[in-house]
Amino acid sequence: MNACIGSPAQYRFQDRFLFFIVPLFVLDGILDIWGFHYHHLHPAGALAVLCAAVQSSPIIGFIVIIGLYLAEEKDEFQKSILVQSMLWAIGVTLAVTTFCGSMEKYSQGPRVDIASVQFLFFLVYIVAIAANRWRYR
Amino acid sequence: MFCTTNSPEQRRWVRSCWTSAALVAPLVLGACAAFRLYHLHGFAAYGVAVLPTLPILWVLVELGRFLAVEKDEFQRNLLVQCVLGGTGGTLATTTIWGYLEDFAHAPHLDLVYVYPIFWLFVLVSYPLVRLRYK
Repeated sequence: MNACIGSPAQYRFQDRFLFFIVPLFVLDGILDIWGFHYHHLHPAGALAVLCAAVQSSPIIGFIVIIGLYLAEEKDEFQKSILVQSMLWAIGVTLAVTTFCGSMEKYSQGPRVDIASVQFLFFLVYIVAIAANRWRYR
Repeated sequence: MFCTTNSPEQRRWVRSCWTSAALVAPLVLGACAAFRLYHLHGFAAYGVAVLPTLPILWVLVELGRFLAVEKDEFQRNLLVQCVLGGTGGTLATTTIWGYLEDFAHAPHLDLVYVYPIFWLFVLVSYPLVRLRYK
């Protein structure tokens, strides 16, 4: 992905991301655009659960490959950057969701789709990774 | 989580968790009562809605502090894996539930439940992670 990759664990992380997570995202996109927006599919019962599982598979996969990376990475510094970024991401996500949830509960804010939690998490995670790398450059 | 520990850092961390949990309940009830009684709007509403998030932020800051100061690599690693389990479980649950709301008209899950779901998964992960090192 970039020219400054160091360890074999990072290579494996990027390989897994490229060959496992990206195809799942593509499958999600196809299902979303072709299935739900173009053909207006309305799956029910077990099919709905299957569709929901397929849509969330990139997130689960991503967490799994992060776990594998943390287990394989020997460089404590790289590990610490990743852990710090994840903590920031989950911290901000939990604070924002509690705040928005409270506002929604008291009829002061718009109804927020719970599936958007993942987007918030990854947005903060990317910002936190960039901020941590900048901090230690 | 660390009932049998003698480490002061772990004791401080456990104390923070319990204090935060004890603070969240009255703050949520207080905010709820304030909205019911005074029909808050604008900045006052935002201010009161922020109150229940403060113990949450505090416990997360304490978590970060604990991970920074804890000398025992093994305990640190255990907690990181539990948090990772909590994060994965929370993201998977909220995403699956969100799509079930869209596809199967499942009941709406309030965003305030994301925080308890996270700690539930952290608690579930803890014995599983420990089991790996038996």
